[in-house]
Amino acid sequence: MEGLFFNVNGGFIEGIVRGYRNSLLTGQNYGNLTQCETIDDVKLQLAPAYGDFLASLPPNPSTSSLANKTTDKLVAEFRYLQAQATGSGAKFMEYLKYGYMIDNVALLITGTLHERDTRELLERCHPLGWFETMPVLCVATNIEELYNSVLIETPLAPYFKGSLSHQDLDELNIEIIRNTLYKNYLEDFYRFVNEHPDFSNTPTSEIMSEVLEFEADRRAINITMNSFGTELSKEDRQKLYPSFGRLYPEGTLMLSRAEDIEGVGLAVSGVNDYKTFFDSSGMGQGVSGAGNMSGGSGSDGKSLEDMFYQKEMEISKNAFTRQFTHAVIYAWVKLREQEIRNITWIAECIAQNQKERIGNYISVF
Amino acid sequence: MSGAGDREAVFPTRQSLGLMKNKLKGAETGHSLLKRKSEALTKRFREITRRIDEAKRKMGRVMQIAAFSLAEVTYAVGGDIGYQIQESAKAARFRVRTKQENVSGVFLPQFESYTTEGNNDFGLTGLGKGGQQVQRCRETYARAVETLVELASLQTAFVILDEVIKVVNRRVNAIEHVIIPRTENTIKYINSELDELDREEFYRLKKVKNNKQRDNAAAEQEELGKRRGSDKENEDDTGTPDVLGEREDNDVIF
Repeated sequence: MEGLFFNVNGGFIEGIVRGYRNSLLTGQNYGNLTQCETIDDVKLQLAPAYGDFLASLPPNPSTSSLANKTTDKLVAEFRYLQAQATGSGAKFMEYLKYGYMIDNVALLITGTLHERDTRELLERCHPLGWFETMPVLCVATNIEELYNSVLIETPLAPYFKGSLSHQDLDELNIEIIRNTLYKNYLEDFYRFVNEHPDFSNTPTSEIMSEVLEFEADRRAINITMNSFGTELSKEDRQKLYPSFGRLYPEGTLMLSRAEDIEGVGLAVSGVNDYKTFFDSSGMGQGVSGAGNMSGGSGSDGKSLEDMFYQKEMEISKNAFTRQFTHAVIYAWVKLREQEIRNITWIAECIAQNQKERIGNYISVF
Repeated sequence: MSGAGDREAVFPTRQSLGLMKNKLKGAETGHSLLKRKSEALTKRFREITRRIDEAKRKMGRVMQIAAFSLAEVTYAVGGDIGYQIQESAKAARFRVRTKQENVSGVFLPQFESYTTEGNNDFGLTGLGKGGQQVQRCRETYARAVETLVELASLQTAFVILDEVIKVVNRRVNAIEHVIIPRTENTIKYINSELDELDREEFYRLKKVKNNKQRDNAAAEQEELGKRRGSDKENEDDTGTPDVLGEREDNDVIF
């Protein structure tokens, strides 16, 4: 049924996204990249996919400029898609951008809190999280003004409303604000894909639910593990967990009570996937691997975070097996982001001559 | 000998000879002391050079690891967190204190690093993702800074010691090659002058003696001549009438 009218509005975009998907780097490409000796070689290898964007780079560019240029391409393609999208598709793409907006707003709030010139910060903002009223944020000089007159005007206003007051902006750690916003965003997005008449009971809602549930669980687990040894209390921690996902509600409740890595392992043991991750990353034994002289995460085997990324990429890859859905856009953006991270990682390894861990990238094609 | 004519402007007197001899002795003592100091410093200097070499190699390794862990953070967080960290850092966790060490009279500053516990300003950074990498990266960088502090104190000691060794060596050389030869020259000069004076004095005395003898001889001669003359005169004298004498005048016979 959903296929009947999808192509009227969404067919073109879906076609383009599938085209974009084909230009993603494959395992073969990554194999070639890891053989490179210099950044210039990397640039040359990337030429088929990123040619016109990398052309303006000077010889032997820094890895950060390489990352910037590859991000530029993602942004350009995303903007093109958004310009083509109509109706609920356009709304869906707006939702994709909110995640980046949260990062940008958090950055600007940090700047305002420390009374910096926030105009300089605009350049550091992620281009995907750009919204029209963002430069207005720079006008506000104190946090109350920012909250009362400026944040209200941003698309993120609903996420602030109800959960954060302007005193909170002043007092809470910016990371807590960011994660509160992100939690609200995920919940709102989840509601949107499941309740919007254009999306409910379509492949979009199925895929997006899976992706968002995974994202929610991942955040909950990460927040728990990263909050050990910090001043974040358990009650505050619980407020940051999204109220959906495969761990919700029992898993998140147990997470909120967890006091160490083993507690987290116990909390996630209800979900088979996460349990497997925990066991294979060696976290289950309470070995946190940090502080050894290797200076990196356990050089043998993958870290939990790597596995989450891997899982995310697989979900994204599988999204392309479905038709008549906007979820492919989301999947494509995520795949591209991972690709940029992979390129940066490989370039870093080559630039720093640390070839032994160059294979740590995640490739699903 | 170099600077044969190089000597101090002194009057060649016995007193200044004594002074010079004292000075020479002082210079020699000072020379041996300074020489020993210089040797002690050089020994220390070599040790520091060796440790700098080690520290630099260590720094190279540690910094490489640290830079790589930063790359890991970038990979895990998927963005730039630099600004956020700069803004959330409020108080220094890693601090340095200095103390002084005395190496044969030279004060070398030494830096000592320590971390203040319970100061974790950006503990929540990367809460959503990448937090562990951020913390690990911080640890590696703390180690890197430790190495840098160690290297810094070695380098400072190196520079200061270098300076001091140069000064000491200059002094040693100055004493060895300028002051001692000059003092020796002066002593030699004074000695030679004094000898000269002695000889002059001797000659003078001789001369005086000669003169005296000659004078004496002449005087004797004269005396002798005089005596002889006076004898003659005496003879003549007998002829001279004592006008006023009580002798009875011979009657003048015209």
